[in-house]
Amino acid sequence: MRDIEITEPVEITLNGELVTAQNGELLIDACERNGSYIPRFCYHSRLTPVGMCRMCLVEVDTGRGPALQPSCMIPVSDGMGVDTESDGVAKAQDGVLEFLLANHPLDCPVCDKGGECPLQDQAYAYGPGESRFVEEKRHNEKPIPISELVLLDRERCILCDRCTRFADEVAGDPLIHFIHRGSHTEVNTFPGEPFASYFSGNTVQICPVGALTASPYRFKARPWDLEETESTCTRCSVGCRVVVESSRNKVLRLQGVDSDPVNWSWLCDKGRFGFQAGNSGNRLSRPLQRCESGELSEVGWNTALDSAASVISAAIAGRGPQSVAVLGGARLTNESAYSWAKLAKDVIGTDNVDCQLGDGLPAELVLGLPGASIDEVCEPGATVLYLGPDAKEELPILYLRLRHAADFDGVKIVEVGPTLTGLSPYAAESVTAVPGETPSVLAALLDGTSEHVEASALLRNASDLKVVIGRANLAEDEAITVQTADLIRESVPGATFLPALRRANVRGALEAGLAPGFLPGGATLAGTLPTGWQSMPAERGGGAAEILEDAANGRVDVLILLGSDPLRDFPDRSLARRALAGAKTVISIDPFVNASAEQADLVLAASMFSESAGTTTSLEGRVTALNQLVTPPGTARDDWMIAVDLADRLGADLGVETSADDLAEEMAGFSDAHVVLGDGAPVGDGVMLDISGRDLLTSAEVEVPPANAYSLRLVLNRTMYDKGTLLEESESSAGLAGESVVKLSAADAAPLGVDGSTQVKVTSEHGSVTVAATIDSRVPKGVAVMHHALGDVDAGTLLVHGDPVCDVRVEVS
Amino acid sequence: MGYLDGFKVTLRKWAGVNTDTGRRVTTEYPEEVRPKPARFHGRHVLNRYEDGMEKCIGCELCAGVCPADCIYVRGSDNDPENPTSPGERFGFTYEINYLRCIHCDLCVEACPTQAITESKLFEFAFTNRSDAIYTKAELLVGDDGRPRQMPWENWDGGFDPAQDTSGWMRATSSGGFAEFEGLVAWAGELGYGVRAPEGGQTSEQAGAEAAAADAAEDEHGGH
Ligand code: SF4
Ligand code: SF4
Ligand code: SF4
Ligand code: SF4
Ligand code: FES
Repeated sequence: MRDIEITEPVEITLNGELVTAQNGELLIDACERNGSYIPRFCYHSRLTPVGMCRMCLVEVDTGRGPALQPSCMIPVSDGMGVDTESDGVAKAQDGVLEFLLANHPLDCPVCDKGGECPLQDQAYAYGPGESRFVEEKRHNEKPIPISELVLLDRERCILCDRCTRFADEVAGDPLIHFIHRGSHTEVNTFPGEPFASYFSGNTVQICPVGALTASPYRFKARPWDLEETESTCTRCSVGCRVVVESSRNKVLRLQGVDSDPVNWSWLCDKGRFGFQAGNSGNRLSRPLQRCESGELSEVGWNTALDSAASVISAAIAGRGPQSVAVLGGARLTNESAYSWAKLAKDVIGTDNVDCQLGDGLPAELVLGLPGASIDEVCEPGATVLYLGPDAKEELPILYLRLRHAADFDGVKIVEVGPTLTGLSPYAAESVTAVPGETPSVLAALLDGTSEHVEASALLRNASDLKVVIGRANLAEDEAITVQTADLIRESVPGATFLPALRRANVRGALEAGLAPGFLPGGATLAGTLPTGWQSMPAERGGGAAEILEDAANGRVDVLILLGSDPLRDFPDRSLARRALAGAKTVISIDPFVNASAEQADLVLAASMFSESAGTTTSLEGRVTALNQLVTPPGTARDDWMIAVDLADRLGADLGVETSADDLAEEMAGFSDAHVVLGDGAPVGDGVMLDISGRDLLTSAEVEVPPANAYSLRLVLNRTMYDKGTLLEESESSAGLAGESVVKLSAADAAPLGVDGSTQVKVTSEHGSVTVAATIDSRVPKGVAVMHHALGDVDAGTLLVHGDPVCDVRVEVS
Repeated sequence: MGYLDGFKVTLRKWAGVNTDTGRRVTTEYPEEVRPKPARFHGRHVLNRYEDGMEKCIGCELCAGVCPADCIYVRGSDNDPENPTSPGERFGFTYEINYLRCIHCDLCVEACPTQAITESKLFEFAFTNRSDAIYTKAELLVGDDGRPRQMPWENWDGGFDPAQDTSGWMRATSSGGFAEFEGLVAWAGELGYGVRAPEGGQTSEQAGAEAAAADAAEDEHGGH
């Protein structure tokens, strides 16, 4: 049942008492709201009711005498009489359960659902206790894998239609369905086609029996072993609320929480199963230092912190504070991000700090644009201009929300981007713009000169345009995104923006000041000194690209990688390589020895998700709690503790008396955006920061070279599963990353003679790679698509940061 | 003078004279051992089916019910080619901590497969904590169906592994309802086959007759 506001009250008689309900709402909800819980299996408040299981039968009287009716299918009307406790109802429930159990294997002792099973619970509460069926039960092969992550035991299935409705209605991947008839009816996939949905784990969560189980949790524990805490998923920036469950100090399962403004109880599989990285045997449990022989070897924290502090002091004393640079911070909690901002900008005094890796949006945009929340973007009847990356791949739950909005709430989505995306089937119109041309295509749409008449009319007539803005193409200069935003603000002054950021807490890190030119709370270096600070950097520093450029040119003495892995994540791969080689000392603070940390001089072991407490900020600016449930391995510690210890060794005090809460409080003390945090840790759906925007916006004008007839424009984007460290370290998702390919339109592929999986050579001005080519109908003519961080082929070597676009030639090799 | 009466009892018992309050019961343990009651609760064993498969399916019901919280079980997937137990799941880890066990036998009652039962062995004095935690390898009966003897266990005190391993389970099987007394409702055990009802229970025949009579009475609206 969802909380609703009663706008159209009607009176019904519920078990003899007059109660108020919302006109037209489902009887099952109205009864629950008024204190009579009706047992159910198939009804789920986020799915359309189907009346499959008949468990919710109640006696309804609409003037013609009481009759048994499924309460999940009956809308409430004025004067209705309902009896949920009569003998007739009890007999019906008894009978329905006897039938549901007629073929049920009663596997409870070996069934993962046993102990938290609605069928067990309801059989106990409403069932007959004994069955009159003595016949042999129906048998099926015990669990069959229907995808890499989900197993189906057809014997246990009660045919409630929840999983199949979810796949069809919510995920839009109708890959499982009922097959056969009568008592042979079963859920199954289409032959040879697995249930390869990014959202498959949700079916396990909503299955009211143990028919669907998830391989990562299978047989790992029983419900009574589990300890749990509410938290927020940190695998992308949507900020889905979750319950984390652990047993014996090990996280074993994540379940989605029905958060109305965010995830509606759904999670993507990357988020649901990503906790496994924390249990990986490759976790770093102690700091590592490069020893004489050149190997990284374990050292104690005192040694590690002393040597970190001494290289930092030496750098400050030598070429000055700006020779220290901090890259990363999106993995951190808000509190840790603030502690690092304070350490870098106040204690060390450098402004060469960036929490993004050239793959995000400039801080000026994120902090400056007038914001829109997810709910505002998905508001019934809204018009949305979608300019972000493929939401299905990068922001999966935002994708589900937008899908629902388009399918059920009349939201019109106009998508403008270099390729079609997972969202395109639900968009009112998808307009493709070759990389570099988004501003001109958009300008035409907004001034009515575009040939896409419908899209243009929608955008021009929108009274309250919502824009989702992000980087659909990492091979395109971010300045083009700035130019696009600028253009929209000029043509549609009332437009509000939802930044489609990717990493978990980028927004929180930006708000905490981990960006060049910024102080916590969106203040700039021109502003006043924050309370509790002694100083701030004298001059503005550089962002990720400048930092790496400086490092490559030997101008960075200490490069601190705060949970970042530029070798894998910075789009311009050769720059990242040169930078790591050129920085004098590299300090990595990370739970793993990732590709970049392998080249570091010092690796400090950091804690991870569910090992540290704090808050996180989602892409829309919602601050929710991150709670601790287990302890980090060995002596790994929270990022803010490392900051406090380093500050101490540099002769400063970050002002933490007892816990990270002190940092939140300090931030709330001077930052208007964070005032809401002053009242202690956020609970439930959290609190929204002030997202009305700030006077920070800049404009940009990018000269895009004209496309030449021999080349294709490169689009570099991401897929949900790639070779990122956290995915590789999660047992169940490690094998799910696809192979590297270059995707071409049929029109471009034909003259090259590409069919199926021809090997081709992709060459740009800066490099060349050999890779399989495939034809993809979502790729428009003139564009070649490659994915970031897949397989061994490094598309990042093709581009150079700062080029507006990247033109490539594709030849059959 | 009353307290002297008390001493009289002591003195007479000491002298070996039977009194009106009963026979002298003190025995010269450990030289002299008494037979143990039929449903004595001692050290556990994990049983196998007659074909050698383990009975435990790793369901953790025993661990869930244990009031002393001394059982640790974890399940795992059976290898379909070479299963440890029938079905999908087997007990991968199984430990009982005898520093905490109060020998209540609730675990035995909870077990859906009669995998865990208690033997009558009580003479297992360990000298360190890790010996006190019996692992699966120590609890599981051997290939002959007999319990394994740990170095610190004394089996000389009349412990008969052939007889003394599942009395309470047999007494309480099928929910412990009186009408099931004497009915065999348990699976065979490796090394023993299907065990007969024991101690205090009526024979299988008599039990069945009693149950049938009960059922007949039920039909006539009895009870
Ligand atoms: S689905 Fe529920 S009732 Fe069925 S075997 Fe599993 S736990 Fe038991
Ligand atoms: S598998 Fe589960 S969710 Fe799907 S129809 Fe069967 S019982 Fe319902
Ligand atoms: S006998 Fe009682 S205390 Fe001992 S393990 Fe079994 S349930 Fe626990
Ligand atoms: S001993 Fe019995 S109750 Fe305990 S885990 Fe094994 S099968 Fe389950
Ligand atoms: S809940 Fe109403 S029919 Fe299933």
